[in-house]
Amino acid sequence: MNLSYTEEQVMLREQIQKFCETEYDFYKREEVVKSEDDFDANAWSLFAEQGWLSMPFSEESGGFGFGPVELSILFEEFGKSLVIEPYLSNVVLAGSVLDKSNFERKVELIENICSGSMHVSLAYAEAAHSYEYLKPDTNVSDSKLNGTKTLVLNGKNASKLIVSCVMNEELSLVLVDTTADGVSFNTFRTIDEKTCAEFTFENVSIQDSDIIASGDEAKNLLTETINLATLCISAEAVGCMVSCYNKTVQYTKEREQFDQPISNFQVLQHRMVDMFIDSELAKSLLFKAMLEVDADSEDKFKHVSALKAHVGKFGKLSAQNAVQLHGGMGVSEEMMIGHYLKKMVAIDAMFGNADFHLKSFSK
Amino acid sequence: MDINFSKEDLAFRDELREWLANDYPKHVKDKMDKGEHLTRQDMVDYHKALSAKGWMGYNWPVEYGGTGWSATQLYLFNKEFGMAGCPPLLAFGVSMVAPVIWTFGNEEQKKRFLPDILDFNTWWCQGYSEPGSGSDLASLKTKAVKDGDHYVVNGSKTWTTLAQNADWIFLLVRTDSSGKKQEGISFLLVDMKTPGIEVKPIITIDGDHEVNSVFFTDVKVPVENLVGEEGKGWTYAKFLLAHERFGIAAVGASMRALNQLKEVVSELNNSDLDKKVAEMEIAISALEMTELRLLSDLENGGHPGAESSILKIKGTEIQQGLTELFVEAAGEYALMYPGAGGYGSNDKPSGPEHAAVSLERFLNFRKTSIYGGSNEIQKNIISKFVLGV
Repeated sequence: MNLSYTEEQVMLREQIQKFCETEYDFYKREEVVKSEDDFDANAWSLFAEQGWLSMPFSEESGGFGFGPVELSILFEEFGKSLVIEPYLSNVVLAGSVLDKSNFERKVELIENICSGSMHVSLAYAEAAHSYEYLKPDTNVSDSKLNGTKTLVLNGKNASKLIVSCVMNEELSLVLVDTTADGVSFNTFRTIDEKTCAEFTFENVSIQDSDIIASGDEAKNLLTETINLATLCISAEAVGCMVSCYNKTVQYTKEREQFDQPISNFQVLQHRMVDMFIDSELAKSLLFKAMLEVDADSEDKFKHVSALKAHVGKFGKLSAQNAVQLHGGMGVSEEMMIGHYLKKMVAIDAMFGNADFHLKSFSK
Repeated sequence: MDINFSKEDLAFRDELREWLANDYPKHVKDKMDKGEHLTRQDMVDYHKALSAKGWMGYNWPVEYGGTGWSATQLYLFNKEFGMAGCPPLLAFGVSMVAPVIWTFGNEEQKKRFLPDILDFNTWWCQGYSEPGSGSDLASLKTKAVKDGDHYVVNGSKTWTTLAQNADWIFLLVRTDSSGKKQEGISFLLVDMKTPGIEVKPIITIDGDHEVNSVFFTDVKVPVENLVGEEGKGWTYAKFLLAHERFGIAAVGASMRALNQLKEVVSELNNSDLDKKVAEMEIAISALEMTELRLLSDLENGGHPGAESSILKIKGTEIQQGLTELFVEAAGEYALMYPGAGGYGSNDKPSGPEHAAVSLERFLNFRKTSIYGGSNEIQKNIISKFVLGV
């Protein structure tokens, strides 16, 4: 038994940390949020150059074949700095569906994702089916796609969508060009300053060559991908929790009231200790979950649920504590700390909240 | 990263399981499985069985007759024994006073005391807390005055676990009151049969007699029973507390309790309770992985420090939380007074078997967040050493 990161993994973390610290501070992030694209084209090219966009893809698809441990490192660090680049939607969601599929055009699409030249989003969610992704109403009949997909992450930048739908009474995943006839969308801002879109498909023509997978294969691809994405955003939550307590400890040491740093007060100390403990426990559950996913074990869904349920509940609690201990600063939009709370709310809401995963865990 | 134990460690685990299947004294196992109280003799039999196997010195170096086990082996030992529902090992002799004796004691003391601890010929108890000195242990007042070839001890100790069974007590006493309170404390070994010692039971809210007050009136202790130097007792006391941490997370025992709880709850059809049980299972998994992370760090030459306070805080919260869920599962039967036949009795009140012991355990386990450095003290430790505030 050895739970240390390898030298390469430590280096990867340092590389990402360096980027976040030097090129993606809170002011830079604000600029990106206010920009029209809602992502930073320069950062995105840098991600491509560094090979971060190719990381999890299999070597056959032109990637590095890195696993959930490396992805967790990346997301933890992104979480610490609240990076809003569309990594999850492109690389994890769309990317991993393609990578594990037998789709004919997958290599070409993956190359485009890795080089950062094309955005692809996975349209998995529908308004009437909260957290139930395997029974969509969107359907294909007579080669025409009809339906509405909500919460399509980074949808506005995507030139291709992978749409889950029912075709011949089976779950299917089809590739749709966002400029095709019959495709329309609206864009919305998410609480964590990303964007998502609602896409409507009206008699969009689907060829056989657009079908990525159907039946059990589609089901597996979607289930596995959502599980991996859940692991990733949970790792992001762990990073947020670590930052919440670090920044709070720092702030209470500097903030003086009653002629002393407020970190002298035991009631604040114990609350910060709780934040520390909850983040350590979250890290422990992350270790368990990422190793189970890495080993492709039977229990991998269960352990990802355990992690997600924990960060859903305690991540929000940590961020709320961070806001409380920052006082008025905690509720100021221009301060970073309150944005962790928004991120934690977003993470809890995605792919099943704490209650949902608690139930999945005990099944 | 590799979460699997090595072949050698797995072989070791099998050896532990074999002992538990074949050599764990049956009369002790039966009582433990039913949640009954053990007698002094049961405890002696259990510890002597471990001695016979050579495992009594589980955390001792080989040179004093110990096993010399690695941190991983110690972890497995604790976990397997916990999962098998064994009684917790009495720490006072083997893992508290013994390391102090071999580290700070003289050759004569090592020869005199260590073999009897290994063979469980002597039952030790701990004379630390006093009525006025709990978390602020260094404020202790029990006095020892040197008079020729012995000390005369006067004062009282409290919360002394199983003093009614003990042959010896290790004692923190004040030999000098002139300086800072941490100075002037000495570490004495005292035979419980010495005239002037009186043990009075303290009955706890679960109805049990586990702890005691111990009174000392002009108790004569030979000077050769002083460990190390006079006035250095505080250093030894702190050293001892660091050794007390072993197995504090109690993951194995909590996993066993969880499995029993799941069986009980599965028949109740209570979705609120199901949810709480799921949360508890996740908490145990998080604690187990935290302990493994610290273990991995230790085996890689790291020195995890105050982080291990997490194990104390979370480990005890989980132990208590489990007992609370058993009480919830008992429903109306939580009304029944535990220990129907008085303390030490194994008579059961009416109702299902799990309900009968649930209240007793719930009340008994309140101690876990109080002893071994209260959980609030643990949080102070983390504040100081991890957060640096």
